[in-house]
Amino acid sequence: MSYAYLFKYIIIGDTGVGKSCLLLQFTDKRFQPVHDLTIGVEFGARMITIDGKPIKLQIWDTAGQEAFRSITRSYYRGAAGALLVYDITRRETFNHLTTWLEDARQHSNSNMVIMLIGNKSDLDNRREVRREEGEAFAREHGLVFMETSAKTAINVEDAFINTAKVIYEKIQEGVFDINNEANGIKIGPQHSPTSPSGLTGTGGQGNTQGGGCC
Amino acid sequence: MEYFKSSLKSVLGSASVENEPSGADTVERLVDRLQSSTLLNDRRDACRALKALSRTYRVEVGAQGMDALRQILEMDRTDCEIIGLALDTLCNITSPKTFDEEVDKHGPNNKVGEQFTEIFIKNADSVGLVLALLEEFEFKVRWPAIKLLMHLSTNRLKDIQEIILVSPMGVSKLMDLLGDSREVIRNDVLLLLIQLTKGNANIQKIVAFENAFDRIFDVIAQEGNVEGGIVVEDCLLLMLNLLRGNISNQNFFKEGSYIQKLTPMFQISSEHDDNPLSTWSPQKVSNVHCMVQVIRALVAPSGPAQAVSNCQRIMRACGLLQALCNILMASGVPADVLTETINTVAEVIRGNSSNQEFLAGVMAPSNPPRPAIVVLLMSMVNEKQSFALRCSVLYCFQCFLYKNEMGQSQLIQTLLPQGNEVPSLTTGQLLCGGLFSSDSLSNWFSAVALSYALIEDNTQKEQLLRVLLATNIGKPPVTLMQQCVMLLQQGTLLSSQENNDDLQETLLQSMCAMLIGLCVHFNDNSISNYTKEKLCNLIENRIGLERFQDAIGGLARHEVYSRTLKHPQPSAKNPSELLLDHEFCRLSKTLEGVITKSVLDGSSLHQKNEITTPILPDSVLITQYKEVIREQSSQIQRLNQLTESLVKEKNELEVQVHDLRSSISHLKDQNLVLRAAQTNLMPEENESINVTTNEGCTKEAEKYKTVITELEIRLVEYASMVKKYETDFERKLKEKSEELEKLKKDQEDLLELLAEDESKIMRYEEKLAALGEKIETDESSIELDTDDQAECNNSVERIDRLISP
Repeated sequence: MSYAYLFKYIIIGDTGVGKSCLLLQFTDKRFQPVHDLTIGVEFGARMITIDGKPIKLQIWDTAGQEAFRSITRSYYRGAAGALLVYDITRRETFNHLTTWLEDARQHSNSNMVIMLIGNKSDLDNRREVRREEGEAFAREHGLVFMETSAKTAINVEDAFINTAKVIYEKIQEGVFDINNEANGIKIGPQHSPTSPSGLTGTGGQGNTQGGGCC
Repeated sequence: MEYFKSSLKSVLGSASVENEPSGADTVERLVDRLQSSTLLNDRRDACRALKALSRTYRVEVGAQGMDALRQILEMDRTDCEIIGLALDTLCNITSPKTFDEEVDKHGPNNKVGEQFTEIFIKNADSVGLVLALLEEFEFKVRWPAIKLLMHLSTNRLKDIQEIILVSPMGVSKLMDLLGDSREVIRNDVLLLLIQLTKGNANIQKIVAFENAFDRIFDVIAQEGNVEGGIVVEDCLLLMLNLLRGNISNQNFFKEGSYIQKLTPMFQISSEHDDNPLSTWSPQKVSNVHCMVQVIRALVAPSGPAQAVSNCQRIMRACGLLQALCNILMASGVPADVLTETINTVAEVIRGNSSNQEFLAGVMAPSNPPRPAIVVLLMSMVNEKQSFALRCSVLYCFQCFLYKNEMGQSQLIQTLLPQGNEVPSLTTGQLLCGGLFSSDSLSNWFSAVALSYALIEDNTQKEQLLRVLLATNIGKPPVTLMQQCVMLLQQGTLLSSQENNDDLQETLLQSMCAMLIGLCVHFNDNSISNYTKEKLCNLIENRIGLERFQDAIGGLARHEVYSRTLKHPQPSAKNPSELLLDHEFCRLSKTLEGVITKSVLDGSSLHQKNEITTPILPDSVLITQYKEVIREQSSQIQRLNQLTESLVKEKNELEVQVHDLRSSISHLKDQNLVLRAAQTNLMPEENESINVTTNEGCTKEAEKYKTVITELEIRLVEYASMVKKYETDFERKLKEKSEELEKLKKDQEDLLELLAEDESKIMRYEEKLAALGEKIETDESSIELDTDDQAECNNSVERIDRLISP
């Protein structure tokens, strides 16, 4: 399975907000109501397609507990994207976002794309954080925002893919230095940026590289 | 010594020759200088001298200079020269090995380095300082910093691991050094990483996250792959540390397509066929050993089934399995490499039907060409082969048959009589040959191998019972069962003759007990001499139930048993340890309970007298315990909730009590006031009032209070009622007055009409008079009209009366 790009993600946020469940839903398309506490960090991966290009996502799901904070900090530097997750039914997980964000900004490279996620949107009757509050926080701190449910899978796919889209756009804009692996981006083995990508044009969206027909 | 003296002189100036200072004194002065000197140059010189002394006077320098050196690391960070010297000195102090110079003083096996390590890391910042120095590019600093970390972690691995894990970017800084163009640094970091990743999953994961696998493969390629030197081996050792037992990293390795990168490393060139020995240097053997260990770490039977089978699939698809099989069939491969490769192939195919099929299709380049499996089995039943190799072939064959129905039936098929002429050489034939061999190891290997054709497959069991074996010419053929029983008898006989090995004796007894038990448990009573009942009686009378149970349980109590149960691969290091097989142990584990139960149930005595508690297999027990634990935990949860609600309730009640108390005191006060008032009013009744208790008063007061509140409520009701009536009245009044207004207007209209009519009549009368008519005739009608008017007036009056009563 070759890929055009490989992006490294981390998932961060308080314990019990559903980070591991989001990852499981994204990689395995299933929900596990009772999940063991994550110890340290766990790995997951999946292939997605953006702009017709295969992109591999490598995702490190971190432990939310305070005790593991120093360990999980080691993962910020090499990540291109981060999902910062809170639980819409627990106000305190929202209140801690500032701390998480400070931590992330301090240890990551400045271009890391952060997606704010309000998880457990299926539990609307127990909601403690309004959607607007999440949106406001994201706006204030320049994050992308979504509400998801790892249980019903709503928006889970989009959360991961939209983050990848933002990274992808940043690459196109030349913001990311793709040759520095510390940025959490790798170019696929067969996809050196100089070689044109052959006959991949499959109708749909017009290929940016002008495939002029004679 | 002369060197030291001269160097000391140069540092300290010429000391008087007569009272030459002792080592400790010198060290003290140097440390003092290091700490107090304001000139960098002086400090440098002091540090240089300390470094020179730190081997011979290790204890002195360490004991007195540790803090000063630490301080240098902190304060003189910008000067590479002195930092390098300080690090070198610390390296010497903490070195895990004993220097030749100090052997006389502290013996060859002193733990000086370890103790100084302990002192150094007691201050947690120390390691952080050294880690920070790694970022300095200067060789003089970076290299000793790595060496110091190496010494520290050799002495105190667990502590250093924890410290590095919590230092910001600690592991990342080390990983950056893998890219250092200076090979010495890269290689030493490699060694340090091998050390630090030992048994610490968190560090392993961070190292993997920091692109370790890419870097490792890069270095391996630079160093010449499998033909490369010890650095390649170091790389592989690090890789192995990252993967072994670390499921997250294994997953990452698989998802990162690194398995595919292993294949080219196994494509070992065979261009030196004419001189096979030259291609296998000891280093190459070590490298291949490490490489196959990496593969085995990914497909270990203890791993999660899904992940293992994914890796197996990839290994076949990317040609890795093919490459391994090529090594199996190549010539000139050293025996230990071959053995490990066979074990690796075993685990790559275990339980994966496509991979098993692949191995079945591999042909050996022999003449005539034979299937690789046949060639392997030939080695297994060959006494001349090494024991380790024979064990590995058995393991490979077991893995080949594991969950492989087709393979199982094909093996049995080769033993059944076939229409065609006998083909060359089959697996079944080899195994039966092994059963009849005079070599007891061949017997064991063949019997166990054959048993794997029967696991979870009843048809094959029945088929195998049909098998007849031709022994020597002229003798009648025997069934396989007969041959096995014969071997068992021989074993028993041997054991009772020698009787020198308690271990084997007890195992044999357990085995026989289990066999008898099986005959009881699966007995359909079709043979009258050996019915369930008769066998049970036999056990009871000849062996004794207790002894029988003891013998059966003896197996599970055995150390060999638990060792064998742990891993499917035969764990024996030499033939005498080869006693039990993994699957057999698993089988006996599940059967032990049911057999004991059957025998106990079958024995008449116990049937009447005792109610035996069924002995359940472990798994059932475990699930039972799990159930209990689950129940308990849910109970705990319930109780917690209960406690919570009770605490809440308690708080509420406390508040209520508090309120009540305050109201009571309030009422008491009131009561007091009232009493005082009462005494004032009625002094004559003073005594009687005093008699009434406070409580009575309170109650009374309460009563009055309630009465008052009742009355107040009633008052409010009345007030609202009154208000309602008022509004009612107002509304009615308004209505009536409106009505009156209307009626008055009507009356006015009517009066106007009347006046009009009257004037008309007058006009008509005048006209008539003018015409000369008599008017009297119409009088009555006019009178009538006036009557009407009066009536009308009357009615108006009546209304007026009504409206204003």
